[in-house]
Amino acid sequence: MRLAAYLARRVLLLPLLLAGVSLLSFVLSHLVPADPTAAFIGPRAAGDPEIVAAFKHEWGLDRPLPQQYAIYLWKLAHGDMGMSIATRRPVEVDLRERFPATVELAVTAMAIAVAVGLPLGILAAVHRRGPVDEAARIVSLLGVSMPVFWLGLVAIIVFYAQLGWAPAPGRLAGDVSSPRPITGLFVTDALLRGDLPTALDALKHLVLPALVLSFYSIGSITRLMRATMLDVLNEDYVRTARAKGLPRPAVIVRHAVRNAFIPVLTLMGLNFGNLLAGAVVTETVFSWPGLGQYAFQAASSLDFPAIMGVGMLIAATYLTISLLVDLTYAAIDPRVRVG
Amino acid sequence: MTWVWFVPAPLTRSPLSILALAIAIGWAVVAATAPLLAPYPPLAQNIGNTLAPPSPAHWLGTDVVGRDMLSRILYGARISMPVGIMSVALAVVLGTAIGSIAGFRGGLTDEALMRATDIMLAFPTVIMAMIITAALGPGIRDAVIAIMVAWWPFYARLVRSLVLSVREREYVEAARALGASQVRALMRHVLPNVIAPIIVVGTLDVGQAILAFASLSFLGLGPPPQTPEWGLMIATGRNYLSQWWIGTFPGLALLTLVLSFNIIGDGVRDLIDPRLRRT
Repeated sequence: MRLAAYLARRVLLLPLLLAGVSLLSFVLSHLVPADPTAAFIGPRAAGDPEIVAAFKHEWGLDRPLPQQYAIYLWKLAHGDMGMSIATRRPVEVDLRERFPATVELAVTAMAIAVAVGLPLGILAAVHRRGPVDEAARIVSLLGVSMPVFWLGLVAIIVFYAQLGWAPAPGRLAGDVSSPRPITGLFVTDALLRGDLPTALDALKHLVLPALVLSFYSIGSITRLMRATMLDVLNEDYVRTARAKGLPRPAVIVRHAVRNAFIPVLTLMGLNFGNLLAGAVVTETVFSWPGLGQYAFQAASSLDFPAIMGVGMLIAATYLTISLLVDLTYAAIDPRVRVG
Repeated sequence: MTWVWFVPAPLTRSPLSILALAIAIGWAVVAATAPLLAPYPPLAQNIGNTLAPPSPAHWLGTDVVGRDMLSRILYGARISMPVGIMSVALAVVLGTAIGSIAGFRGGLTDEALMRATDIMLAFPTVIMAMIITAALGPGIRDAVIAIMVAWWPFYARLVRSLVLSVREREYVEAARALGASQVRALMRHVLPNVIAPIIVVGTLDVGQAILAFASLSFLGLGPPPQTPEWGLMIATGRNYLSQWWIGTFPGLALLTLVLSFNIIGDGVRDLIDPRLRRT
């Protein structure tokens, strides 16, 4: 069973890659000529050698680097990502609070991108060189060229500052309290708890940032769906299906779309990783209290445990999703039997 | 269309491509001649005329300290264009070096380098850039380094797969049989045959690199605050939502530049790979 061996290898490789990612983030954050001490205790205290020594001792910064990494890895394996220097709370607690906000944003953005990108790409390929195709081309070009942070700003200027249609940036209005967490996704949680007003408010806050974040994925999904559809429509089996008298819509849905979708699935997996990372600028623009905003604050205060935690979490999510995509691939495409 | 004789035909056939080419050339001219074109010095403050809306004296208005927006946007092209090209070029060079060694040597070297590439690819680009720029201190140079470090793995993978396909060709074998060293075989016989697609992909990515740099700059991980740079100017616009011109115009400049690069990239790809041609 070569397939089984391949799958086993992929699954076993995951923890090794994660260890590699942890080493990378550790090395990156320690080899660079910057010292979090001054950033944390302030320039005046940084001039006092005793305070500096005490601080370094408290956080284990006075040990040799390999030892620091061994400690980090050991704790990481036990779910302990260290203390954030800036928030003075365990990093994993901070992450658990922030991650659902980013997931809510990214999943919604991906849903929008698929809902717009797939039909647009299919229609563009079917009506090649028609007006829909031209529109699809413009949408996909705009999508991949758009500065997301600028689009977000313009959206806020137009829909919040000028028209007053959108609520102020944030996840909820100031006088609405967050639903008691089940999944951590506000809209879902409020619905599960039967709290319709909160769900509606959360949804209102979610729409604009999710639309803005989905822009890039709309562009890339439309483009790839169109390209693979064009390839598939030229295949012999599509012509055969037409020749045996199957109506065109049936051929498109049953034969073409199903086959053209496979590469798009991979792109969606890759895009999801990008969405998590791309959320950094979107969250900054929309004051969205997710991972991206957390990472940004951590980076500005040289809070290395926090930065490493975010890096690890996003990398782990990305690696898991691409593994799942490859497994799905192997399941739905009988041609895929080896890596 | 004789004035574009030097441009390959498929690019001139589509009106959109011609427009994109004109915009890109326009921005290049602006970057080269900004001191001549700009009506005001980009750093000249005028406290008597702050946050002024667009007017005949200041076509795109003025900012928080009365600096002319148009002049600052024109000067911004001097940063964005070279930075975009530079960071892609550096990433391509590093990626080509590592990818060609991996593909050519094979075996353990290949395995080790490619797993390292996997790790780099898994690590989020923005976070990596944040660590680098936050640690080296923000600046244009450090943002370029950050983009290079984050992007080389893509080129390394591409180059490796290209090298793998060329490595077993007869002419490489012949060179080896004639006693050419590994280095010589790689440099003289393998690399020249894979360089074209690498350059094409690199060209396609310049627009994305300009975007990536502006994002870093927007997050405060680029040049210092007073610099006339688009990402920074857009970031300032966040604090002045009713003075819409502050954030809107620099973003339009960025969008037109990136869009034109991407449209040209599309045209170049159609040219190289006729299978993907749209017309």
